Amino acid sequence: MKQFKTILSFELLNYLKNKVFVGVTVFLVVVIAAIMCFPSFADNIFSEESDKNESLPVMIIINETNNESSIFEEPFSYAFTNYNVKLYDDSYDTFEDEIAVGNAECAFVIKSLTDYDYYVNNYTLYDTNTEIADQVLRSIYQTNSMIESGISIEDASNIINVQINHTAHSLGKDQTQNFFYTYVMIFALYMVIVLYGQLVATNVATEKSSRAMELLITSAKPVNMMFGKVIASCLAGFIQLIAVFGSAFVFYNINKRYWEDNFIIKSIFDIPLNLLLYMLLFFVLGFLIYAFLYSAIGSTASKVEDINTSSMPLTIVFVAAFLVVITSMSSGSVDNPLMIACSYIPFTSPIAMFTRIAMSSVPVYEIVISVAILIVSVFAIGIVSAKIYRLGVLLYGTPPKFSAIFKAIKK
Amino acid sequence: MELEVKNIFKNFGNKEVLKGISFSAESGEAFGLLGRNGAGKTTSIRILMDVFPADSGEILIDGKPIDYSKIRIGYLPEERGLYPKKKIVDQLVYFAMLNGLSKRNAVKSVDNWLNRLQMSEYRNKRLDTLSKGNQQKIQLVTALAHNPQIIILDEPFSGLDPVNAMTLKEVVKEEIDKGKIVLFSSHQMNYIEEFCDKIAIINNGKIAIQGSIKEIKRNYTRDRLVVSTEYPQKMIQHFGSRCMADKNGELTIKLKSADDKNKTMKEIIENFDVDTIKVFEPSLNDIFVEYTKNGGQEIKNETI
Repeated sequence: MKQFKTILSFELLNYLKNKVFVGVTVFLVVVIAAIMCFPSFADNIFSEESDKNESLPVMIIINETNNESSIFEEPFSYAFTNYNVKLYDDSYDTFEDEIAVGNAECAFVIKSLTDYDYYVNNYTLYDTNTEIADQVLRSIYQTNSMIESGISIEDASNIINVQINHTAHSLGKDQTQNFFYTYVMIFALYMVIVLYGQLVATNVATEKSSRAMELLITSAKPVNMMFGKVIASCLAGFIQLIAVFGSAFVFYNINKRYWEDNFIIKSIFDIPLNLLLYMLLFFVLGFLIYAFLYSAIGSTASKVEDINTSSMPLTIVFVAAFLVVITSMSSGSVDNPLMIACSYIPFTSPIAMFTRIAMSSVPVYEIVISVAILIVSVFAIGIVSAKIYRLGVLLYGTPPKFSAIFKAIKK
Repeated sequence: MELEVKNIFKNFGNKEVLKGISFSAESGEAFGLLGRNGAGKTTSIRILMDVFPADSGEILIDGKPIDYSKIRIGYLPEERGLYPKKKIVDQLVYFAMLNGLSKRNAVKSVDNWLNRLQMSEYRNKRLDTLSKGNQQKIQLVTALAHNPQIIILDEPFSGLDPVNAMTLKEVVKEEIDKGKIVLFSSHQMNYIEEFCDKIAIINNGKIAIQGSIKEIKRNYTRDRLVVSTEYPQKMIQHFGSRCMADKNGELTIKLKSADDKNKTMKEIIENFDVDTIKVFEPSLNDIFVEYTKNGGQEIKNETI
């Protein structure tokens, strides 16, 4: 136990003293802080200018109809709040030059209430101005028509702008609420497991290639070495997750009022506590399974370069699990047969079952079975990996074939 | 304290690596474990250090099975290597702690050893900033810092300059004088002869010969004479193919049997003008070559 603690603290300190580890963590925290504080900065810096219409791009409206220009002014200004809307009569014929030199961004030449031309310097894929203008003109046309039929302006306006209220009641989980935070958490799980798994494998292979292993295997029990390494990397990954998510949470709360209107960001920080605990559980179990296997793979490689080839099958399994989960999430059906099957396979269940818990209503017994399988698998894979590790660290040269390893650990 | 390795067998798959290895060493003496590459030395050392178990056989300390929680073993592997990118003191303390020392004692002991080996100035440097010889001295600290009762040194002198080799010799002698058991594995026979009283030569997974170097030499078949003469040609003509000149100009004459020794000596003195005549005594190198040249063949197990 003393030896295990020595290895654990040595390996953990290696991570915490590692400049890349500290650099990446600080960088992520700074980026998150910058993103979370951006609306606050933007508000302070741009608040004065945003009051002035001059800072907004100019939209020219040229009225060629017989109607009074005033009937266009208010609806267009209301619909295009991001523009400084300027109205001209049909004598303004230099508008194309104004757009070309950049004094105005776009222009609507309204020929009648049902016909207009749109001018813009570069017509982009995301330009929705014509759709908005269609609605504005349709609304003006409808109002005018109703007034002509004897309906008062107020009534006509009320009919056209009637507000429909609706409330959606989700009896299970509300996927519009939990999609984003589930996505963020799954992605974090995936990244941490793959990155740290590879790091464990690389560490073991580096010890072998530098021949430090010759001394290590005679100074410490292989089981202590492997478990110390894996648990140290699990803690390092966890510390990094806490740093990133913790700072995001703190900076979000500091700037909460600026994010009130952002549905996605707001929903990400509305993670229920029980889901965070599930994430912790699946993170630890999933991490251990993969890290044990990665360390076993690392022990069979003589050089760091061999790691990529040796660990490819394991990485492919996890990438496939990630793709299944992400596809199911996007399709909205996280309880499809493939996802249910994946919820019980130890290599896929950490992310598959977690996604189902987050986005669907999973019966408790299913969660218990999945977690039980996962726990048993962690122990089984831990024991098998320790045996492979014990053998692997002494082998140099060509990495052994899977059948040879299997035969050796059966002994 | 007596270390006894008793009848160790070990197979890797279908390959028999050790076929009944036995030897013993006592406190305050250096024991040489010799053998060609792949003879089974490292496997024997790893079994002795409990890296993996033997298929059968025992490791005994004073007649009782070894208790690894009580016996500390220091090891300098042939394949040198530590963490190249880590601070020297950090890794030395780590290895001392893995071998059972508390952090405080580990730091104290490491500092003492760095001082003893004149390496204190490198204490806080990274290992890869040191020369190869100095890296080897650092590696030696990992074998000694936890004050082991048994020290296993595998090719300890390879790569050391004469000054560093001298320092290492002094350290090894000090450890032997402190009553440690020192196991040497080396192909540099001069060092083995200098340090070791007893040796065992492993060949093909078996002990080919073992015992004290003096006795081995004394018991070597005394069937050759070494003659120094001004007129070698006469003797070569007389003894024919049994007589061979070596690079020092001396002649080695193979006797028909060891019993012919006196008779042949008398014959030479009477018939030839000789300066010296003596019975051939082999060097350790000669003994090693003799017992290991048929690496793939079975050699009769002989114990002296």
